[in-house]
Amino acid sequence: MSFNNSKNRSAPIGRSIPFVTLKFRRLYSEEILAYSFLWPSLLILTMLMVYPLLEVFRLSFYESNLTRETWVGLSNYSALLFDPFFWNIFLNTVLFTIGSVILHLVLGLGLALLLNAKINHIFRSVARGILIVPWLLAPTVAGMIWVLMLAPFGVFNGFLTALGFTSDLTNIAWLGDSSTALGSVTAMNVWRAYPFFMVMLLAGLQSVPQQLYEASQIDGATIFQQFIYITLPELKSVITTIVLLDSIWTFRAFDPVFVMTGGGPSYSSEVLATAIYYDGFQKMKFGYASAEAILMFISLFIVSAFYVRRAMNNNN
Amino acid sequence: MGSQNKRRIINTTTYLLLILAIIIMCFPLAWMFSVSVRPNVEVMKMPPDWIPQIFTLEAYSKILGSPKYIRVFFNTVAVAGIVTAFSLFLGSMAAYALARFNFKGQRTVLMFLITIQMFPLVLLCIPYFRIFILLNLYDSLVALIIVYLTFTLPFCILMLRSYFLNIPKDIEEAAMVDGCSRIGAIFRTLIPMSWPAFIGAGLYTFLLAWNEFLFAVVLIESWGKRVLTMAIYSLLAEFITEWNTMMAFSVLASLPLIFTFVFLQKYMVQGMTAGALTS
Repeated sequence: MSFNNSKNRSAPIGRSIPFVTLKFRRLYSEEILAYSFLWPSLLILTMLMVYPLLEVFRLSFYESNLTRETWVGLSNYSALLFDPFFWNIFLNTVLFTIGSVILHLVLGLGLALLLNAKINHIFRSVARGILIVPWLLAPTVAGMIWVLMLAPFGVFNGFLTALGFTSDLTNIAWLGDSSTALGSVTAMNVWRAYPFFMVMLLAGLQSVPQQLYEASQIDGATIFQQFIYITLPELKSVITTIVLLDSIWTFRAFDPVFVMTGGGPSYSSEVLATAIYYDGFQKMKFGYASAEAILMFISLFIVSAFYVRRAMNNNN
Repeated sequence: MGSQNKRRIINTTTYLLLILAIIIMCFPLAWMFSVSVRPNVEVMKMPPDWIPQIFTLEAYSKILGSPKYIRVFFNTVAVAGIVTAFSLFLGSMAAYALARFNFKGQRTVLMFLITIQMFPLVLLCIPYFRIFILLNLYDSLVALIIVYLTFTLPFCILMLRSYFLNIPKDIEEAAMVDGCSRIGAIFRTLIPMSWPAFIGAGLYTFLLAWNEFLFAVVLIESWGKRVLTMAIYSLLAEFITEWNTMMAFSVLASLPLIFTFVFLQKYMVQGMTAGALTS
């Protein structure tokens, strides 16, 4: 506002330009400084994010193999929305996400509680260090290990044999059977990413004030009651944050499914990320894949909005 | 006495459960290693041998003796290293602006940074594929370095910002009163004081770039440009039966990260959790 005023006031004077510039510099000194540090990152991120998003949005109204484009309006979207196949893939993605997130939470919380118990502190840090290792692996590497373990000749079937299960159960190709493929990929994903929950929840547990437990002990609370009435409410904020983040990460995950099953057999483990890849880069239906990507973006956006709101509140 | 007994039981159970968890969770890692030192015929045996019957390093020598595979290691180190350097440099500049100045659009910039971390990356693949072909950068490591910034840069900015916020502004201002320029003050006070954040953010960025797979699949074609994750995956298609080679490759790809983790555990965990904690 004041900038406009100064412009008006200085307009009749001959030396108005340097005066305005000076005034501008003084009024916006913080902005000038801030953006002189910010512009390289903002420029790169805008070019890498905003432009491609607009481009995908545009492409979703075309039929395209990247060399030839035909405008088809909303027909990519209507084809997708009336395709039971798409909904099946969507359901797979949701199941994969919910399964992973719940098991991450259960495993992560269990291990965090164990690590937070009164145990030898050297043992604690060694155990914590070892238990984090799966998280360091690339999803590709983790996926490969599990492909090998779950193969018909693999060590998992070897276990079942050793435990005395009959031989028709011990020849299962866990990733080659449409009833077990998605579950097997979920199991791998649980194994690879539970340490994130464990680490975050351990940090949360360590910041719960000890007096709360001491006071409740005097009042005669059992360990179970302490867990329900003290630990969980104190962890609520951390849990909400990591559950939201993990849901977003798992919902958009590409590597586990692509590496382990390629979406098969007969699409039983296909998720949105891999479906978009195959539709685009193998079937060369880039318009269709773009529409699929936009629908995925919208679904993710709804969950992300919650997370962004929380994050923004914490930042201010 | 009773309560002491009870405590002892709880204590023992805690140890036992933790040891059990370690055994279960480490089993896949142990299996990866154990398969990597077997001859391949032994891998396919049913029922499997729990302990290698013949110990051999042939898989490792196969990888380390092949220039094609060695090249892949160099590519990965180069990409991850350069991405980390760029992310820390650009990220610390942006983080400084967000932590130290009050300016119009600050909230929008923060929101933008948090929101783009939630993007489904597969959505970006189609336009990237197209743009990099147009720019003649398809199948080049430069393309990978550029696109990896999409997820490493926002993370670095947010993490460094939250660390800078905890360092009092007065220290830089004192240095500026003593005759330092602003840049001089930043290099003499802020950056030396926030090295833990640089190490944490740097390590996590390196890990993300090292482990990335999707963009490598979409943007890289030839063996000379491949990175580790993609090379390991291609072994599945190329030599479907050579499991020992693949596991040896996986061990070699994971060891650098695990070693770094052993020595810099504290900073690495800091970096890994910061993604959620900063925001």
